[in-house]
Amino acid sequence: MPAVRIAVLMPAFNEAGRLTATVDELRSLGAGAAITVFLVDDGSDPPIDAKTLDGRDRDKVGVVLARHAVNLGQGAALETARRLALDPRFAPPGGFDAYVTMDADGQHRGVDVLALAEAIASGADVALGDRFAGDSNVPSSRRALLGAARVFERVATGERLSDAHNGLRAFGPRAIAAMRIRHNRMAHATELTHAIARSRGEAGLHVVEVPVSVRYTEASLAKGQSASGAVAILVDLVQGFFLKDHR
Amino acid sequence: MRPEITPAALILLGLLAALFLHDLTSLEKNRRLMLLQLVVFAVGGSLIVYPEIARRLAHGVGIGRGVDFVLYPLVIWLVRESLLTRRRRLEEEEKTTELVRALAPAEARVVVAPAHLSGGQSSGSSASTTT
Repeated sequence: MPAVRIAVLMPAFNEAGRLTATVDELRSLGAGAAITVFLVDDGSDPPIDAKTLDGRDRDKVGVVLARHAVNLGQGAALETARRLALDPRFAPPGGFDAYVTMDADGQHRGVDVLALAEAIASGADVALGDRFAGDSNVPSSRRALLGAARVFERVATGERLSDAHNGLRAFGPRAIAAMRIRHNRMAHATELTHAIARSRGEAGLHVVEVPVSVRYTEASLAKGQSASGAVAILVDLVQGFFLKDHR
Repeated sequence: MRPEITPAALILLGLLAALFLHDLTSLEKNRRLMLLQLVVFAVGGSLIVYPEIARRLAHGVGIGRGVDFVLYPLVIWLVRESLLTRRRRLEEEEKTTELVRALAPAEARVVVAPAHLSGGQSSGSSASTTT
């Protein structure tokens, strides 16, 4: 059976300390997958040094590095990574089998990237990570915030998801084309859920949820979403809905 | 109609005069804008010194207080300006994003070549392939 060709879409902002370990974890996955990481340095200061990615077992995972000259936000970096992964200069003939979004800060596990890609290889168009079904150490404050986000997504998009804001998700070739992100910052998660809901209705996409583990550390919690961040997301969504051109 | 010179009116008139003098020095080359500002300030100043004007106009259109006659259209105009400004800011942000994104792929580098870009097999010697 040929290896699953996986494009990992990875935005990074000032993650130099944890980035190498994240890429190394993907390198340890073995021969079942041919992984190319599309790493977008979203205006980090200092910029990501390409040499730091040239670690052990370097043959196992390809890395394409692009840089935003200024910090635009995670949504913008993901969109740049998506476009790079679809660019014929970097994609294999016929494209990748699965496109997986993954955080650079070490919260996500390599084995879960593989599990999501395998769900796509098995016929799903969209595979969403579910941290509550997996072995995650979700703090209670974050659990409450994510519960509220789940209700909001249900009302705003009509999608009944177990884990609405998990950055670990995978798309098949049919789905990735419809996942254009226009929200630069964290509101892109809701935008993606909305795009999934719309594509499910229009194109009959097959959506599944896959148990994954998310590792919370002090550093990732400090950088992650907070209650004030949730308000900022809400403002972004309302502004985008009423003020942006929806072409 | 008698002028009503209250302490508040004096403060507001002082503020108008200070703003006008400030703009007079910074916008001196834009005479048309200065003229427009002079007209707006003159109308505003007249309404402050002679509030009876606003009162009579308000009663004429069925509004209770003169100050409401001035405030209602002002609030509507400010809200509209705020929305248009936010919209313009979003448009500018979209343009900046596309500009930054246009540069990113052009300067993207294959740091470690994946198998499909290294002739079908992974190669340890193909780092830093600039495309």
